[in-house]
Amino acid sequence: MTLVSVAAAAPFVALLGALINGVFGKRLREPLPSAIAATAVGTGFVLSLLAFFGLAALPERTARIPLWSYLQGGAFSLELGFVIDPLSVTLMLIITGVGLLIHVYSAGYMHHDPGYSRYFAGLNLFVAAMLILVMADSFFLMFLGWEGVGVCSYLLIGFWYAYKENADGARKAFIVNRVGDVGFLLGMFLTVRTFGTLDIAEVNAAAPLLAGSAVVTVLGLLYLLAACGKSAQLPLHTWLPDAMAGPTPVSALIHAATMVTAGVYLIARTAPLFASTPGASAAVAWVGALTALLAAFAALSQQDIKKILAYSTISQLGFMFAAVGVGAYWVGIFHVLTHAFFKALLFLGAGSVIHALGGEQDIRKMGGLGKHMKVTGTTSLIAVLAISGVPFLSGFFSKDAILAHVYTSELIGGYGPLALYGILLLTAVMTAFYMFRWYYRVFAGQERLTASARSHLHESPRVMSVPLIILAVLSVVSGYLGLPEFAFPNLISGWLETPTAATFRHPPLTTEWLLIGLSTTAALLGLGLGYLRYGRRRESTKTETPTETTTARAGVLGRASGSALGFDAAYQLLFVRSGERLAQGFRDVDEDVVESGLRGAVNADELGRSVAQVQSGFVRVYALLMLVGLAALVLVVALARVGA
Amino acid sequence: MTLVAVLIPLLSALLLLVAPRALGRAVVLLSTVFTLLTALALPQAGGFERPWIEPFGLYLSLSPAGAGSVLVLTAALVMLPTAFYASFVVRERTGGFLALLLAMQAALNGLFLAQDLVLFYVFWEGALVASVLMLGIWGREGRRQAALKYLTYAVAGSFLMLVAILALRPLSGAASFRLSDLLPATQALPLGTQLWLFLAFTLAFAVKLPLWPLHGWLPDFHEQNHPSGVADVAGTLYKVGGWGFFAFALPLFPAAATVVTPYLLALAAFTAVYAAVIATAQTNLKRLLAYASLSHMGIVGVGVFGLYLAGLNGAMYLLAAQMLSTGGLFLISGMLYSRRSSFELSRYGGLAKSAPALAALTLFVTFASIGVPGLSNFPGEFMSLLGAFARNVWLGGFATLAVIAAGVYGVNMYQRLYQVDAQEDVPDVRGLELVALAPLIIGILWFGIFPHPQLSRIETQAVRVRTYDAPVVATPAGAPVAAPATAEPALEGDDGH
Repeated sequence: MTLVSVAAAAPFVALLGALINGVFGKRLREPLPSAIAATAVGTGFVLSLLAFFGLAALPERTARIPLWSYLQGGAFSLELGFVIDPLSVTLMLIITGVGLLIHVYSAGYMHHDPGYSRYFAGLNLFVAAMLILVMADSFFLMFLGWEGVGVCSYLLIGFWYAYKENADGARKAFIVNRVGDVGFLLGMFLTVRTFGTLDIAEVNAAAPLLAGSAVVTVLGLLYLLAACGKSAQLPLHTWLPDAMAGPTPVSALIHAATMVTAGVYLIARTAPLFASTPGASAAVAWVGALTALLAAFAALSQQDIKKILAYSTISQLGFMFAAVGVGAYWVGIFHVLTHAFFKALLFLGAGSVIHALGGEQDIRKMGGLGKHMKVTGTTSLIAVLAISGVPFLSGFFSKDAILAHVYTSELIGGYGPLALYGILLLTAVMTAFYMFRWYYRVFAGQERLTASARSHLHESPRVMSVPLIILAVLSVVSGYLGLPEFAFPNLISGWLETPTAATFRHPPLTTEWLLIGLSTTAALLGLGLGYLRYGRRRESTKTETPTETTTARAGVLGRASGSALGFDAAYQLLFVRSGERLAQGFRDVDEDVVESGLRGAVNADELGRSVAQVQSGFVRVYALLMLVGLAALVLVVALARVGA
Repeated sequence: MTLVAVLIPLLSALLLLVAPRALGRAVVLLSTVFTLLTALALPQAGGFERPWIEPFGLYLSLSPAGAGSVLVLTAALVMLPTAFYASFVVRERTGGFLALLLAMQAALNGLFLAQDLVLFYVFWEGALVASVLMLGIWGREGRRQAALKYLTYAVAGSFLMLVAILALRPLSGAASFRLSDLLPATQALPLGTQLWLFLAFTLAFAVKLPLWPLHGWLPDFHEQNHPSGVADVAGTLYKVGGWGFFAFALPLFPAAATVVTPYLLALAAFTAVYAAVIATAQTNLKRLLAYASLSHMGIVGVGVFGLYLAGLNGAMYLLAAQMLSTGGLFLISGMLYSRRSSFELSRYGGLAKSAPALAALTLFVTFASIGVPGLSNFPGEFMSLLGAFARNVWLGGFATLAVIAAGVYGVNMYQRLYQVDAQEDVPDVRGLELVALAPLIIGILWFGIFPHPQLSRIETQAVRVRTYDAPVVATPAGAPVAAPATAEPALEGDDGH
């Protein structure tokens, strides 16, 4: 048992934690479920660290851990196994590291909830499934984790199941994800048909031999569909805002830091496959860029403290898709890493606010909380600056790397890179703008609290604020792993880079600096515009709330933003309503036409007569058949006797 | 040992008819426990063969090799808690019901193990009689009508099969009705003859599978059965049409199978999606489960008719696994009925508050049923669809869409039963109910996590079917790799006899 292979125990430890809390939860007193769950995840983190150091010492930088034989069908067979390499270890560290902080935070956040142990069982189960997803060495095992995290997401979004909104949000997430899962399944079927295996390493090795062929492109598009479902990208993005019905730490862990990045991971994991198909890669990049823009636009005028962050997550995932779409696989994962820190921090900060205000989520009823909640306010400010791309914070480095790689990509031809770059730069401005609005409306400016919220107001306990501080530190420093390559040492690109066919131009140094200047400008411009729009008016008008609603009511753009371009309404009409009508039509046909048609076939004369008569027709036919059957039996037996 | 798997439940059933009431439960428990132990030992057991009516070439021939033993195993795993549970919840004429239940198990084990076609037919009809009687005597108000409909479909289907079975020997000149004698003989029959015989078998198996449009009996069968759900479980075990194709129709008539299976594949793919979509629109729990189960059978069908080993293995695995999940859901429907006296979903809601453990168990079994990986149905479903996809991309792809509809009816059902606001409190899961569900839960996990041994056993029998699989090419590393899918099927030339 090497240092690396001990990591194989990580998902099973988390599973054990889930099992204990799930089965014996009712008998465990309050701090115990969270202690068990946090211990399980903490053990996972230690194991991941061991694997990390073990891997750094391995010259080949990859270790396979076989588990057991699973499927068998002719030439097709499947063995379950884990692969530990820089990519999976990085994700494991994020999952267990951020996971541990969120488990600790949850111990305070879920205090006194009647479903305390059920909550931690779900959270541990999620960690187990997510670890399986990233450690899988085959598409099949990855899909097991993939659906597993979907199930946990369903369980935790619908955690407070007594409210219809929550149950509906959970249902929607599950069903939309199933659409993506069909893409994954079909992708696997086509993979077996093309390569005869589901082993990711084998497929990665074989895919470049088919570079540019239609089948690889179709494969890429099918896996893209899967990725769009899990990572809430166009056109399957609609479930994520509704998923905010779950407890806020769940939003932080599942719907910001880890699960929703699975689509990015899938593409990075199959980088050689995607690099062999410029067509599918371009689709990934465009889906990402358009999603980033659309979601940032929607984030501009949301009024729910969590919905803004949800759209922001969709938008940031779009950045990551753009990165892996243009072939910058390590850059995508780098943004997964930094985003995990600052977005988890934003959600936990939001949770801290919601907790402090006794459940209030409307930012119109917040404001000025910074002076009451120093830790939450300060750490949230750091996260806001980080996600906005302010220089020297983590988000700046990863976002700048994305923008630079999109601009210099050679995987996508023509004006594609330039157009993508323009869209993403605009989105970066919008990101800084809406994040300023988020921060300002919550933590600065006038207090617009309701009386009950005010009476409730308090800074969160240590068990919640310490994770905030740790995440804030990480949101600052994690960017230094990936300094711009052209002038500085870059630790993470060498660690994560997989050899693929994707290449990048190397523009002159001045251009590189210019790109950095543009990124910086975008961030500062967005923040500045945000200040002009929201910050400057703080004293000028006492009726700030009406001002904003009036603007939203007046503008077509405002309404479009508020409804996120009306995707929900359109889907409701196109798929939900018509799907229901189709199902009811099928049901009616099945109950009437097929049956009466059969009755007609059984006895044409009876058709159209009363039900009783039809039944008697059945009896007659039945009796006749029995008789004929018996006669035939006698006849054949008789014949056989004659023969003998 | 193999004969014992049939004899234990059969003799116990007879014993129940004469035993005093008080002993009934003990007989049932002992019988099902020992049948399960026998089923577990079957892989090590040898076959059984005695002449039956030798002049007619009839043999009492049973073999535990292959897929049959897997099906016997899951049936035993389901029957153990179901029969025990039934001894408490079926309060009218309990002894007779339990006897029928065990007789049903005996017949099922027989038809899974039979190696003689006439013997198979006897067990096939024996199980039918048991399930019709359960429906006709213990069913609900509409039982008479439902039973007649069921019987009409089944008899109309199997009558032609009987004729075809009896015609097999004279036509092929085989020495007996044993598969070992029949197989080489019938495979050499000319295509025209094979086609007629295959179609006769197809009718019987398609009704039982069931395939659209021969499924009309199914929703009523389940809706009208005893509200405890026990008889539905027995009915679920008896959905053996896929088994008939796998074990008999396809190996016996390979040339005809090549010609007809594309149409059957299309019907099965349609059944899978059609039924899953209808399930989303059901307002009655039992009808919802009936259509969900029909959809699973469609997926079994696409696996079988794809004529790839992956699909054939997967289909039989799914057939075995769905006994656990569908059986579990029918038992749960009965448990819910005992609380609310209704199967209408509108009568439910918010039960998770007062019955959290029952809610968790239901959700677990529902997830197994809709094919969540790691649970029992997924390996079989995956391989069935994989095989169908290998045969025909469009039909296999179409059948895969059932996965979405399954997600819809699964979570919708759970929401309507357990989520949102509670109308009134119900008791949480009782000890007896937990005992009834526990073996199923264990089975669901076991079949979901370690499918390989069973799949390998199934494959030893699946190779009897002439498939489109290319010969295995061993790579230097030792890992088998399928030949490119573009390779022409190996059996194309055999059609023109």
